[in-house]
Amino acid sequence: MNSNQKPSREESIEAEITMGPVHSAAIEPYRVRLFVEDEIVKDAEITVGINHRGVERIMEGLPVEKANSLTEKICGICSNIHLWNSVMVAEKGLQIEIPERANYIRIIMAELERIHSHLLYLAHGNEVLGHETFSMRLFYIRETVMELLRMIGGNRVQYGVSVIGGVRPRCELNEKRIKKIREGIDFIEQKVSDFANRFVADPMILSRIDGICSISKKDALRLAVTGPSLRATGVDLDLRRDMECYQPFDFEVITQEGGDIKANLLMRVLEIPESIKIIRQALNNIPEGPITDRTWKMQDTDIIKSYVEAPRGRLYHSYRLEDGRVRGSIVRTPSMSNIGAMQYAVIGHHITDAQLGIVQCDPCFTCTDRAIQIIEI
Amino acid sequence: MSLRSYSRARAVHVMLVYTGGCNGCDIEIVNSIFSPKYDAEQYKLFLTWNPREADVLVVTGPVTKYNEKPLKEIYNAIPEPKAVIAAGACALMGGVYKNINGDIPSEEIMGPVDKVIPVDAKVPGCAVRPEDILSGAVAALPKLLEAK
Repeated sequence: MNSNQKPSREESIEAEITMGPVHSAAIEPYRVRLFVEDEIVKDAEITVGINHRGVERIMEGLPVEKANSLTEKICGICSNIHLWNSVMVAEKGLQIEIPERANYIRIIMAELERIHSHLLYLAHGNEVLGHETFSMRLFYIRETVMELLRMIGGNRVQYGVSVIGGVRPRCELNEKRIKKIREGIDFIEQKVSDFANRFVADPMILSRIDGICSISKKDALRLAVTGPSLRATGVDLDLRRDMECYQPFDFEVITQEGGDIKANLLMRVLEIPESIKIIRQALNNIPEGPITDRTWKMQDTDIIKSYVEAPRGRLYHSYRLEDGRVRGSIVRTPSMSNIGAMQYAVIGHHITDAQLGIVQCDPCFTCTDRAIQIIEI
Repeated sequence: MSLRSYSRARAVHVMLVYTGGCNGCDIEIVNSIFSPKYDAEQYKLFLTWNPREADVLVVTGPVTKYNEKPLKEIYNAIPEPKAVIAAGACALMGGVYKNINGDIPSEEIMGPVDKVIPVDAKVPGCAVRPEDILSGAVAALPKLLEAK
């Protein structure tokens, strides 16, 4: 445009804003293109693939125990659920019945991880919102969960709990550990409810999140959104209710209406007490007995598929076994399905809300960047 | 101690670059600087996302193909004196993704980090512990303070 030709007020200005792959607003590398008209986002495009490492290709031909521990390295936030699901594929294929006590320990770990993932989401959301105090508060609450995870698994991030046939002997829950978990979850429950009361009573925060970047129920189903982001639009769908290992536990599936940022944030806040409820039931009724079944035998299997409810949504793992080695592994992570929602949610909203609209779907691009494009010739 | 190094020691800005790890190290680093428990800000260690403001570059991850060029550009954009910390097993030797003794060597990984840019301090761990990050930052400080 010529510099002495200033646009008139009626004329709208179209521009393209590109962020990434390394940008201050996004911790993970991904690329966003926002097509803007008068500061209103008209279209958005998210490009992933920048941190593609090819985990599935490395898994090809590895012994199944090694391949399972590699799936844990797909994601540093929900590492346990990847390992659990991958182990579950082998257990389904080899028809292994795991001891009841091992199942309870796995569920305790999965729910602790869900709490830490949701708290991280809330902390990240508040940081993007511009409320650093809440963000630091939530990091402080999250530290309790991290210490519990370190106590059980021996590491803060990659705690390999599940092995084929049960759980690792190190992760046995004795009386002392159970007491510490009880104290930890009491603390988290109280602090999270304090946070929630302050959060919903703050008019400044509500003005930025209420009704912004909403997705309707119909669009969410059309875009194949999963997990808490889907439940925030009002769809009552939680895989935990149908999973066999969750049958002994009594919990409610939380849903919200609207699918906007407020509904998404409250969704995670309200899911934390439900996870705590499951952990309490598991600690109260934990059966005695062995934690690992070592009597299983290796054999070849067909392709086995397994779905679980990860903190971000539906997680899919599948592979087949051949001479004790993994062949044709496929992983589908929840963030992969939620990319459509991230692109769709920001359309029609102000450019300042765009980053928040992307963060509301709880993106985890490390999980997502494994896909291999297969071109048929 | 000169006035320059005295004031430099009181405002060390750390930039975190993520080159394709698993998110674990990054959250631990942000946690060690940001969260009230470890709180590196009390030692005047601040997190920044602007390379022109930064003194210390913390690199995590095994440097994937697409991240090699941005990483070099970020390194060149940081003004002298600067120090680089490679944090985590992936940044030190490629980690599990490099598939070092595997049948198929990985073509996606250009790392470890010291193949791409010079590294001053190395912090091991998978994932790194927040305490180790602080000691890694302390190990990189003399390079900043003694520079003229």
